[in-house]
Amino acid sequence: MGEGQAGGSKPLDPLESFRGLRDIYLDTMAKAMVEAVNTESYAKASGAMLDTTLTLSAPLREGLEKSMLQVLEQLSLPSRQDIVALAERFTNLEMRLDDMDAKLDRILGLSHPAQPGVPTESAAKSVAQAAPRVKRGPARTQPASAAKSAARPGQAAPARKAAKTLPARKAARKGTK
Amino acid sequence: MEQAPAITEQVALLQERFRTLNKVMTTKASIAQTPKELVWTLNKAKLYRYIPVAPKEKRHAIPLLLVFALMNRPYILDLRPGHSFVEFLVSRGYDVYLLDWGVPGPEDKHLKFDDYALDYIPRAIRKVKAISGAEEFSMLGWCIGAILTTIYASVLPNDGLRNLILLTAPLDFGNKQDITFARWTDEKYFDVEKVLAAFGNMPGDMIDYGAKALKPVENYIGNYVKLWDNLDNPQIVEAWHAMNTWVTDNIPLAGGAFRQLIVDLYQNNRLMLGKMIIRGQRVDLGQLRANLLTVIAEGDHIAPPCQSEAILSKVASRDKEIFRVPGGHIGIMAGGGAHKLTWPHIDGWLGVRSSQKLDSSN
Repeated sequence: MGEGQAGGSKPLDPLESFRGLRDIYLDTMAKAMVEAVNTESYAKASGAMLDTTLTLSAPLREGLEKSMLQVLEQLSLPSRQDIVALAERFTNLEMRLDDMDAKLDRILGLSHPAQPGVPTESAAKSVAQAAPRVKRGPARTQPASAAKSAARPGQAAPARKAAKTLPARKAARKGTK
Repeated sequence: MEQAPAITEQVALLQERFRTLNKVMTTKASIAQTPKELVWTLNKAKLYRYIPVAPKEKRHAIPLLLVFALMNRPYILDLRPGHSFVEFLVSRGYDVYLLDWGVPGPEDKHLKFDDYALDYIPRAIRKVKAISGAEEFSMLGWCIGAILTTIYASVLPNDGLRNLILLTAPLDFGNKQDITFARWTDEKYFDVEKVLAAFGNMPGDMIDYGAKALKPVENYIGNYVKLWDNLDNPQIVEAWHAMNTWVTDNIPLAGGAFRQLIVDLYQNNRLMLGKMIIRGQRVDLGQLRANLLTVIAEGDHIAPPCQSEAILSKVASRDKEIFRVPGGHIGIMAGGGAHKLTWPHIDGWLGVRSSQKLDSSN
């Protein structure tokens, strides 16, 4: 043992043989389980289990939803459906804004064709300067609220603003005024 | 007499191991640290642009858009410094954009592949073009992201897509024997409408369970045994911690997209048979003309190789290639060997196809 250590080899580990046996057992089990889950009988059993769970929980879920709806109505509060409908309308608005943005870009592009090579660098530069960079560290990305407000009509995201401060576009918009 | 310090040492070592174990099991690793900026949002989706670091003369002219799966966080592409595909690409001079789908809420339960492929992706691409100034672009789709990019590239073949990279793409669902998910989601056993009626969106935990149940021993036991055996190795612990942070960060899949995934793809293989309808239009893979690289993980149990092979015979691309890598669905891109094998190959393939002017034969 002393010779082994002097030679730089690992010290004798009494658990080494246990680990070897454990790994062999786990490998065998892993192969057997992979085969077991890839069978019709497993698919049938897991499907039946899911189906039973969903069937049994359905009345409870529906009851809970109905009573929650009644409570919210009594309190004059919006239901989940109301919020969902609002969110869907909000997304539609965002889409329309995005479409308008695209149309505006197309019009500007037609009226003031960009010089080849210019937009790439200037766009990259202005976006890099104006948009809030996501710094290293835990808080790397904008919070969800910031992202939301960025998408809100009339409150362009900093990056969105940045995209519109491209020198070529700026000049183009001045020209259209 | 000499045994006492040895025992104390062993106890201290054991204490340290438990401290490390507790840390990695109860905290989140610092992930996605490559500097980036938010350049566009729509609903929950966000488009990020990574800050270029390569000197101007070494940058590629054609921007690259990364599209990840809908039901996992995309930061697997930027896991941790020194082991980040995004960081690698940026250092190689690519103008990299990442489309983060975000977390669908109850209001998004109707979102389908149609919406993702024909609303979100084209709009994100418009922004990429506006910022980069390039008329052409490259796209990399991974897993379901590969399905979306394939649909997009087939339905809108004239949108400027020059290069398409598909990673572990589940596109062909014909071989039901080798696709475990296809067995489980067979219409005989799996009632997709009942699941969606209960949840609206497919819950992230259920998707995670499904993925882990494909290899239950590895995922529920072997993974933790490996960690325990290597608790004294900070590099392995750090890698495990980052991966565990990603694996446990599950998000739901929009109900409409989940229905299409199961009914159109797993149950009826409509994409490969040319019968998939998106917004009333048939998805014809023969319309896909972009240069195509398909990366296949030979040990993939989620999207087995048989799912990614047939695409090459269906597309009209003249420049197409299959690259096979030993490894699993995630391991080929985020595992220890990714930076030696997969990333350099992608860089080698994409680099020569990302210059401003390219031979029209490509």
